[in-house]
Amino acid sequence: MFGQMDWQGQKLAEQLVQIMLVSFAVMALLVGYALESFQSMMLIYAGGVALTTLITAPNWPFFNRHPLNWLDQSEAVKHPKPKLLRT
Amino acid sequence: MHSFGYRANALLTFAVTILALMCAMASLSDNLNSPSPTSQVQVLNINWFQKKLDGDDEVSMTLNVSANLESLFTWNTKQVFVFLAAEYETPKNSLNQRKLSNDQANDHKLGCPCGMVLYLPKSMQNSGSIPQTSTASLIKQGSNLRGREFNLTLHWHVMPKTGKMFADKIVMSGYRLPEAYR
Repeated sequence: MFGQMDWQGQKLAEQLVQIMLVSFAVMALLVGYALESFQSMMLIYAGGVALTTLITAPNWPFFNRHPLNWLDQSEAVKHPKPKLLRT
Repeated sequence: MHSFGYRANALLTFAVTILALMCAMASLSDNLNSPSPTSQVQVLNINWFQKKLDGDDEVSMTLNVSANLESLFTWNTKQVFVFLAAEYETPKNSLNQRKLSNDQANDHKLGCPCGMVLYLPKSMQNSGSIPQTSTASLIKQGSNLRGREFNLTLHWHVMPKTGKMFADKIVMSGYRLPEAYR
């Protein structure tokens, strides 16, 4: 769960963070204003932050659907790094 | 975004920034509210009116204060501070203002050197109207205040949950001290 994400996963995570936080903020503002309750605005937003953290911070499997295929070690040995002709 | 800590840090920083923006919006929403408070003060009785040893005049009067401040409260209001002041002119100072002081036990004393204390209860939480009868005394700087006209002004300070405090007042004019000491 605390491993590394692949690139597509990182992009998805960042987009999720931005979209979720902004929409929870807007929702919290509107609900708080309508209910005339400052506390409900803060509670909704706090819940939104917690939910967003839960979804985006850990390295869930759906963030690793486009893994990068690094070259195998055995394959790399067969193709050594070319030597420079002149130093 | 390549580790848990990195993502959590970025997320929390963004969340706090958005929280600051939300508080600013909440504070701005107060401008949509147009308050219409009313108040009325009646001088029921002048208890006594004397000249003190140091030359200043002192008067004690019983007032009936009623006010409706409900329209001042919004979802972003924490509390409202209210006090009553008396304004009058003397030949020396063109404007004198004195907060009326009160001998009630539940008052909050400010310890000002001229002996002024808050007249009304020091904060009103979620309450609108304050009909209240109580004794107030004015210690005025200046002598010879017999027959002096004065205005009673109800001041209030609105303390919001987020944002800037603002103050306003209602001036009620037409009051007059008695012509003779008693």
